[in-house]
Amino acid sequence: MVDFSLTEEQTSLQEMARKFARSEMLPRAAECDKNSRFPEEVYRKAWELGLMNLNVPSDFGGSGLSLLDQVLIVEELARACAGMTTSILANCLALEPILIGASPEQKQRLLAPFCASFHLASFCLTEPAGGSDAGALTTRARRDGDAYVLDGEKCFITNAPHASLYTVFATVDPALRHRGITAFVVPRSAEGLSTGKDEDKMGHRASATSTVRFEGVRVPVDDRLGAEGDGFSIAMRTLDQTRTPIGAIALGIAQAALGYAGEYALQRHTFGKPIAEHQAIQLKIADMAQAVHASRLLVWHAAWLIDHGRKGTLESSIAKCFASDAAMRVADEAIQIFGGYGYMRDYPVEKLLRDAKLTQIYEGSNEIQRIVIAREQLKGAA
Amino acid sequence: MEIVVCIKPVPDAETRLRANPAGTALDGEGVKWALAGYDESAVEQALLLKEANPGSRVRAVSFGPAPRTEEVLRAALALGADGATFLEHPAEVVPDPLLAARAVAAHLGRATWDLVLVGKQAGDDEAGLFGGALAELVDAPSFGGVMALTYDASARRFTFRRSVEGGAEAAEVPGRAVLALQQAWNDPRTAKLPNILKSRRATIDKVAWATTAGALGPLGTPTTQSVGFRLPAPRSGAKMIDYRTPEEAAEKLVRLLQEEAKVFP
Ligand SMILES: Cc1cc2nc3c(=O)[nH]c(=O)nc-3n(C[C@H](O)[C@H](O)[C@H](O)COP(=O)(O)OP(=O)(O)OC[C@H]3O[C@@H](n4cnc5c(N)ncnc54)[C@H](O)[C@@H]3O)c2cc1C
Repeated sequence: MVDFSLTEEQTSLQEMARKFARSEMLPRAAECDKNSRFPEEVYRKAWELGLMNLNVPSDFGGSGLSLLDQVLIVEELARACAGMTTSILANCLALEPILIGASPEQKQRLLAPFCASFHLASFCLTEPAGGSDAGALTTRARRDGDAYVLDGEKCFITNAPHASLYTVFATVDPALRHRGITAFVVPRSAEGLSTGKDEDKMGHRASATSTVRFEGVRVPVDDRLGAEGDGFSIAMRTLDQTRTPIGAIALGIAQAALGYAGEYALQRHTFGKPIAEHQAIQLKIADMAQAVHASRLLVWHAAWLIDHGRKGTLESSIAKCFASDAAMRVADEAIQIFGGYGYMRDYPVEKLLRDAKLTQIYEGSNEIQRIVIAREQLKGAA
Repeated sequence: MEIVVCIKPVPDAETRLRANPAGTALDGEGVKWALAGYDESAVEQALLLKEANPGSRVRAVSFGPAPRTEEVLRAALALGADGATFLEHPAEVVPDPLLAARAVAAHLGRATWDLVLVGKQAGDDEAGLFGGALAELVDAPSFGGVMALTYDASARRFTFRRSVEGGAEAAEVPGRAVLALQQAWNDPRTAKLPNILKSRRATIDKVAWATTAGALGPLGTPTTQSVGFRLPAPRSGAKMIDYRTPEEAAEKLVRLLQEEAKVFP
């Protein structure tokens, strides 16, 4: 049976997220975008209400939500501000490797503090020389007694300037390629760890992004996740979980663009009638609505599959890729419907286009998603 | 201390209202129901009192039809109420504050309680009758416009402020009381996600309408009847102000209010 109705529990989560997004995020979105301000007060409040660490099971004090519950919340948050949503979600991304690869003792030790008080974590995979080809990363982890010594640099790391814990992927031997990659957790206090300047970005300006440098950082063996060489698999399994919520961020952006465009089209008059009565505008609205609906179904479906124990690599890649491409088109058309006003920073739609762009790039660019989709698809064809 | 908060589902501020086909009442079809702002203030006050007086319990009570009445009770549970009582009533719309007060009074007669808090008025019909009527029925003192309520356990006294014309007065009542809260003076909290999840699974004590009707006897029939329900006609004549700075907008607005609307001298 196919059932698209949300449970009452899901409806109340959605409503709660919508209320938070409208009262806490939306009023600050334009200002944070303009000034590239990291609104820590919003993130703290999100934490207090349980909107952070959505993927951490309740055993450790997290919210322990299904992926479908998570994407319902993420869409609502992203409608108000995608940048803030990226920063709120970064904890899920950074803590997922712990959920996947850590021992029970490590889980208790590492996850509990995040649920007991407000802390941010960062996921450190991408390096200056390459993000897509994660198997070629060069940050080194050299074994030295009961510790590893990390040297290297990560870039474009969300929340890095504010994080208290970093999940880091490094190689014990570059010649082994992806089989040498190993995952570690490193606290901010570790000697030799430093973060760079907050990047000046096109969009998601309420989120902070910087480099993270490791210069002879000693990491106890106890802070290695899984075995040596498990890191690549941990990273890929992490992205299998977090790709769908990225689709939900794109969906939230597209939904916001559609909402603004519809409202504006009804109220703006040209040639003696609302522009919504010009067929050219109606066709745009129709295409935008189709893109939003299709994105939502793909995102929900991918989340549902993963909640039902399937890997969902194909479906989550489709959801992320489709929804982010759709968000770009929908935001673009929203600007077109706003005409000259759409191009002005005083109106909310040009931000949506800048925010949508990132969803095509991060957590696996859409080129990489298409490679994955084709590979999975052709597997089935053989 | 046993604190009872009486709450009521009202149409959400964003819901579109419509009269029923007979034109006698609100059409409940498609209405999104919510805990009213006034009631949120009452729940918040109850929770603040509970936090300040360890060992206290907060019970939310609501009289009305399923499922909307249970929904606002769940909202109160999510905010932190310890228990909830659903006094079922079959009518689609309950326009009768006196009947609601009788039903709650009948229930309170069987329960232990030290304090009843209500919103200053209902968020929909704004009748403002329920608190006073309930106080009369349970023979307890009643005050409206209450703020900053505290409890002195040794003296068994509630002290509070009341907003009155031009200021506030301080008051205290010994023992049991029914107090109607001023709205939005206490910045009601937002329910936390884990509590929302818990509230979905919490059991709500339900009192069937037959039980309440049996207790009320002839008093169980409504005392008022709604004969007409109309939405206000759409208004025209809005004036948009062109401005470049907020200062300019304010200046122009003040001038219009003085010269055209003659609101200020
Ligand atoms: C704002 C922001 C936040 C980010 N946050 C994080 C974070 O928290 N943690 C983290 O680890 N990373 C983060 N990233 C990094 C992000 O995931 C990478 O930018 C992304 O994976 C692409 O890597 P790259 O930038 O090195 O591009 P490259 O890998 O150099 O790719 C360049 C271009 O070539 C294309 N390309 C690459 N390989 C192929 C191929 N085989 N076939 C066809 N086309 C290909 C890519 O799609 C892209 O268009 C963030 C990035 C940004 C911009």
